[in-house]
Amino acid sequence: MFSLLLWVWIILGGILIGAGVHFIPVGGAPAAMSQATGVGTGTTMLAAASGLTGLIGAGTAYYTHPGDFAYTIVMGGVSAALMISVLAFIANVMYVYGAGVPLASAKVKYDPITKWRQDLYVSRGTEGHGSPMASFISGILGAFLAGVGGALVFFALAETYKAIPGFSATFGSYPAPYYISLAAAFAIGIFFLNCVMASYNIGGTIEGFHDPKFRRIPKSIAASLVVSAVGGLFALLISVMLPGGI
Amino acid sequence: MAEGEQSPRRLMVIGIIGALIGMYLARYLNLWTGTAWFSFFAGLGAICAVYYGADAVRRVASYGLGTGVPSIAMLSFGAGQVAVLLGLAVAKNYSIWFAGPVIALILAAIIGLVNGVMARRVIKMNIHIMEMSMTEIAMAASLVILGLSTVIAGSFTFNAIMSYVVASGFIIAVFIVGAMAMFHPFNACLGPDERQKRTLNLALSTGFIAMLVAGIASGAINGVQAAVPTLIIAIFGWIIYYLRFFADTKQDAAAMLSTGLIPAEEEVA
Repeated sequence: MFSLLLWVWIILGGILIGAGVHFIPVGGAPAAMSQATGVGTGTTMLAAASGLTGLIGAGTAYYTHPGDFAYTIVMGGVSAALMISVLAFIANVMYVYGAGVPLASAKVKYDPITKWRQDLYVSRGTEGHGSPMASFISGILGAFLAGVGGALVFFALAETYKAIPGFSATFGSYPAPYYISLAAAFAIGIFFLNCVMASYNIGGTIEGFHDPKFRRIPKSIAASLVVSAVGGLFALLISVMLPGGI
Repeated sequence: MAEGEQSPRRLMVIGIIGALIGMYLARYLNLWTGTAWFSFFAGLGAICAVYYGADAVRRVASYGLGTGVPSIAMLSFGAGQVAVLLGLAVAKNYSIWFAGPVIALILAAIIGLVNGVMARRVIKMNIHIMEMSMTEIAMAASLVILGLSTVIAGSFTFNAIMSYVVASGFIIAVFIVGAMAMFHPFNACLGPDERQKRTLNLALSTGFIAMLVAGIASGAINGVQAAVPTLIIAIFGWIIYYLRFFADTKQDAAAMLSTGLIPAEEEVA
């Protein structure tokens, strides 16, 4: 019942979630007042938005094509990336047309992707506004990585729980079987474990891959490895503890 | 930092013992009478755990996490959720279902401690109570999840929680509403004039809101028997403690703290 390969997938998924957070332009409270670069909310909310969308995508893919590994993880990644691009785009529309600030980063002089000048457009006393091109692209990449990570965790757990006797039953007329519900609930738990660890590592805010804080990524990978190894082990042990099913 | 009238140890005893007594009362009385009228005891137990967890959040978040207060509660609920279902599965496997909540509590402490060690030693957060706080918040989170799940399912055996709370999807409502009940009090009250009594009165009021949500969900599983007593107690409890919180707020608002003089114009730039 306990598969070492599936445990490795959970750990790998956790590391991808932790690494993905480092790419996402998390602005935190200052960005909500358009005083810092990024989407104006904390990692917890961004993770809940894009991570849960990724899991819904992965869960739908897994349910319609059971056991299709590639389809599940790509759907997870694409759904999360779609959600973060909608979030960053709508936030940018509000910054530009609502708050009246240009999109600019204070951490670099030139945008690494468009090569456009940044420092001239940063208002005095602030650390940038909105999500400029580098942060936007970085956010899409990061959400894709984190979505793939979340989908890997979900896939590993769903494959494990599918083998437990009785877990293919459904709750009343509710169409999804038990193992999908349990795998989704735990995938959310392990997603939060890793993304909060990563957000502690970046101190709550980051602009994207061009931010100097991005170099702290090895510490986050080490923390994610241990945290998701323990969380994943606990989640997988449930299948060992239920030899007779429910 | 974040001193208060109630010591952490006293709150820990109230939270853990209160939550366990509530859950066992709900389970045993429901089993003994063959009804679901007594599910609300588990909700009161969950409120004890919210009370304890909100103080643990308050102690650690007063150092400034850098990511907002909600992050630590969400992390701990992620850990607590895994610990709860594994604890109940272990209890089922060894046919010691009455020990399920205690096993879940111990597993939550282990996973919380691992998270705390990682946050302090690997990520190098400069908060010396990190390990202890993460352990305590994960323990409180597991008790809140288990308490609210017991309200919904009327029992805390693995089969009941799995069928009525996880498979039906209520686990996500329990997860979010339980975490909000725990992090909201300090998130709303933080600042230089934060006072333990006011924060904890708000924690009790948010705890009753969590119980209200669990009560609505319990109506879908156990019908009127479970829902009506839970909803009545939750609504009255929420009104009482929200009014107390409001009175505390008015009382504390009379105090004034000096923040220094306004800087001269040339220094503002």
